[in-house]
Amino acid sequence: MDLLEYQAKALFAAMGIPVLPSQPIASLQELRELKIPYPIALKSQVRAGGRGRAGGIRFASNTIDAVAAAQAIFSLPIGGECPALLLAEAKYNVEQEFYLAVALDDNARRPVLLGSTQGGMDGKLSAGTVHQVLVDGEFSPFYARRLVLKMGLRGELVPSVSEIVERMYALFVQNDLDLVEINPLGVDRAGGLMALDGKVTVNDSAIDRHTELKCLLNGVVMPPSLKPVWIEGGTVPTPTANATHSTQGAVNGQGSNSTNGDRSKKNANTPIGIVCNGMGLTLAALDLVCRFGGNVAGFVNVGWTVGGGRPETLEGRLEQALASLSHPHPVRVVLLDLLGSAITLDGVVAVIHQYAKRHGWWRQETQPMEELPQPLSTPRSEGDLAVNSLANNLTLNKGRGPAIVLRVLGEPSDETRELIESLPISLADSLEAAAKLTAVLASAPQA
Amino acid sequence: MRLTPNTKVLICGIAEPLAIAHVPLMRDYGTQVLAGVSPGEGGRSINEIPVFDLVEEAIATVGPIDVVIVFSPAYAAVDAALEAIAAGIRQVVMVSAGVPPLDMVRLVRRAEATDTLVLGPNCPGIIVPGQVLLGMHPAECYQPGSIGIVSRCSTLAYEVALQLTRAGFGQSIAACIGADRVVGSSLLQWLQMLDEDDRTEAIVLLGEVSGDGELRAARYIAETIDKPVIAYIAGHFAPVNRSIGHANQIVASRTELGKRGKTDVATKVAALKAAKVRVADRPSKIPELLQRALNTKAKAPSAKG
Repeated sequence: MDLLEYQAKALFAAMGIPVLPSQPIASLQELRELKIPYPIALKSQVRAGGRGRAGGIRFASNTIDAVAAAQAIFSLPIGGECPALLLAEAKYNVEQEFYLAVALDDNARRPVLLGSTQGGMDGKLSAGTVHQVLVDGEFSPFYARRLVLKMGLRGELVPSVSEIVERMYALFVQNDLDLVEINPLGVDRAGGLMALDGKVTVNDSAIDRHTELKCLLNGVVMPPSLKPVWIEGGTVPTPTANATHSTQGAVNGQGSNSTNGDRSKKNANTPIGIVCNGMGLTLAALDLVCRFGGNVAGFVNVGWTVGGGRPETLEGRLEQALASLSHPHPVRVVLLDLLGSAITLDGVVAVIHQYAKRHGWWRQETQPMEELPQPLSTPRSEGDLAVNSLANNLTLNKGRGPAIVLRVLGEPSDETRELIESLPISLADSLEAAAKLTAVLASAPQA
Repeated sequence: MRLTPNTKVLICGIAEPLAIAHVPLMRDYGTQVLAGVSPGEGGRSINEIPVFDLVEEAIATVGPIDVVIVFSPAYAAVDAALEAIAAGIRQVVMVSAGVPPLDMVRLVRRAEATDTLVLGPNCPGIIVPGQVLLGMHPAECYQPGSIGIVSRCSTLAYEVALQLTRAGFGQSIAACIGADRVVGSSLLQWLQMLDEDDRTEAIVLLGEVSGDGELRAARYIAETIDKPVIAYIAGHFAPVNRSIGHANQIVASRTELGKRGKTDVATKVAALKAAKVRVADRPSKIPELLQRALNTKAKAPSAKG
């Protein structure tokens, strides 16, 4: 997760990277007890980029101006977030602005140092202007000097900028960071350096072994517990959604479906949720449901066990996934495919049943579905036949909970089978059969 | 690598819940699990397997080990792998999930220096159907045969293996490279191993939308691989990634996908097709494409590289 600027700068200061005198401001009152001299910059502490352009950074040369500026910034949402804090900072006269970063290259599986002399808010940062040095062996300061020379620096700036890169690298490694970025690194007329803005991204897997970082983050919202990836507008956008969203659509690959005859337009907007264990399986399920004409609103991978707030047991994650798909956009059909997991089919049905009971998902009575939609056409495979025979036994879901299509290896006990028959749960024996059934159910008339 | 029912296995983190659940399944499959290591548990036995405090202590008692499987907690996983390497073991499977990326950077440096094969972390390991199970693959999805599977994702591999099994195609080996951000071995490395494996007649490559491993794989297939390759890439309909910030964009631009300026499945599919890989648009098409590829191969054996 990203630290706020003032938190990043606290880390910089502790590592000996020069930062300006500053003071976090939580209320207008605190501006009257300012310990830094005017003129000051007031900076909105939000995570979104482009704060300057959005009006989140203002300058003030006296208390009256500062209060007005602070008022404006506190009530200005940037990236949907209003700041809880401002950072009041001394002004700095900049001659030049550099860009420096330490990141991880997943493919090379090594840290990489990045630098450019064209930093700053309007800097043209691209692969062409930012120089890179891969730290392929054990780190030593020469890697930093290599970067600095690639950036084209000479003279006194070579040792001074190198030293900042070294300290950024130390910060990166000691705190298990995903990213340390200084943009801009201000250079004044005398060659003095100052980290004017900074970004630090903490690795979510490693945060638990860094108590000092956890302290720093205290009071800040931790990464969300198990949350679905919501697809804006769904995978089958309504005509209005098409008109209001960009033609690119919210989803990749939409252009490629025109050749796919499986797509049914009927009731295409009934929202579908997908819950699988493992990202590949989740994405495969997403693709299949879309190809069968289903409108996927969101998907959850319950296989991933790591990260803030995720329950350790699959049962717990499953419950959280069901809850997460009910809010804020309740889905009407859920495809649930758990392959090679620790819980049996009986166990999964028990979790669903308990959850559904607690949340009044389904009415007691169920009735046979009178009219089944016909997008299945002629059966083409054993899977299709299985879907057709299952579909004939469907029950109409009259409650407010979603219908569930379940695919877990193994046979249910007699007790579970009875339970399944009394609930809007259908079984499928392959991912594709489950996806097809899900799309069919979503195209059925809803109660 | 040659994996057989005689492959000798040691489990690091044998007292972890996942190991307690899966080691008996491995043994039932015929895998020779000779020893376990769990600091502080030395002298006990778990699932009738002797437990030691150190890898070297275990080897001194039970003899040479071919493969170490790491179930240790995430923050202890790389240490366990380094311990195995220090004890002379050159094949390490890391099941543990959520291993900090910079720990993996250290391990990768050591593995490269010692020519150690590291699979994972956050992976279910390897299965050689009918012979040996090194990890957590569900045995019921597999049957012995000649199709090699290499996959980014565990459960997608199970799904495809099951469909192959149902269609009468057994498997020679299945390996999943792991879902953590930094992994010990790539799709490309595993393609190379499957190409060299004489039990493997054709290869199924399972990828997904993120990363660029599939593009590197495509280039390698075009240059080197003679065996038929069938691919499926999941995530045609996945939402486009949000903006990832300057540094990461620039780092990404070092990669193949970045150079092409695209990050979608279509790019990967096109690259694979250009490498003469048959690409399935859904998992159920894989057996059919496999049959076609094997028919073609039988008719006209070609010679590449």
